Amino acid sequence: MPGSVEVPTFNDLNVEEISVSSAVLKGAAHHYGSQCDKANKEFMLCRWEEKDPRKCLNEGKKVNECALNFFRQIKGSCAESFTEYWTCLDYSNLAELRQCRQQQQAFDSCVQDKLGWERPNLGELSKVTKVDTSRPLPENAYHSRPRPEPNPVIEGQLQPAKHGSRLFFWSW
Amino acid sequence: MAASKVKQDMPPPGGYGPVDYKRNLPKRGLSGYSMLAIGVGVMCFGYWRLFKWNRERRRLQIEELEARIALLPLLQAEQDRRQLRMLRENLEEEAVVMKGVPGWKVGENVFHTDRWVAPLTEELFNLRPREELLHKRFGFLWYV
Repeated sequence: MPGSVEVPTFNDLNVEEISVSSAVLKGAAHHYGSQCDKANKEFMLCRWEEKDPRKCLNEGKKVNECALNFFRQIKGSCAESFTEYWTCLDYSNLAELRQCRQQQQAFDSCVQDKLGWERPNLGELSKVTKVDTSRPLPENAYHSRPRPEPNPVIEGQLQPAKHGSRLFFWSW
Repeated sequence: MAASKVKQDMPPPGGYGPVDYKRNLPKRGLSGYSMLAIGVGVMCFGYWRLFKWNRERRRLQIEELEARIALLPLLQAEQDRRQLRMLRENLEEEAVVMKGVPGWKVGENVFHTDRWVAPLTEELFNLRPREELLHKRFGFLWYV
């Protein structure tokens, strides 16, 4: 008889969410990727190894905390230039980064002076990284049943068939 | 006849100048080879500009994709929590709705395995108005 599906309670799922729109996220994405790298990578590793969102709720909480911290820091020091930048991005439907280079420059220099963050160069965020976790690798993440035994080794000498293959009417 | 001075239209003194009646087809303009060279040159210049701009567009595209890569964990975590929250609400609603129905186990697993099976959109939005399901399925579609 199958058991019941475990669904976490509302208490577990109550995490302080980031209430920020897409242009803001896209504008801060590059800096967010380099600053909150650790928490992000741990969460993604957990998610892809365990293949179960219920097991990665803690890592998800850490991701949210890191993101909130990140936005609080920006709000604390570079709020105006960041507001200009994401307002400029929000102007177009696609939020193209190449239309807002000036404001991006202003925001980058402000963040570099006040917080010491450097914008990652092209290609650095898409590099493959190794993540160091204390969580053990799950065995049998797919919960597969025990596999059947392999066929036993054939004893004795194998000879070609006498009188040909004898498959239907072929005799060679 | 009178040799008086009558005003007539006479040819200029010394007669008219020579009339050119022969064909006049002067050779002018660029030669064919040079025109071809100019055309090919303009095309090559156009290709070179095109390739340069395509490389620049590729760099811009990589930048935009990297922005998406950087944001994926956040979006995935939010999506997970949202799904789990909807499942929890459905579970509690199910307990209320199916109370007293004989032989019904609330939250029973419909599969014989105990791994996580991603819930279907229809399953998640089962007890909500149909509008929400349609918005989830087709809200981001641009085409018809």
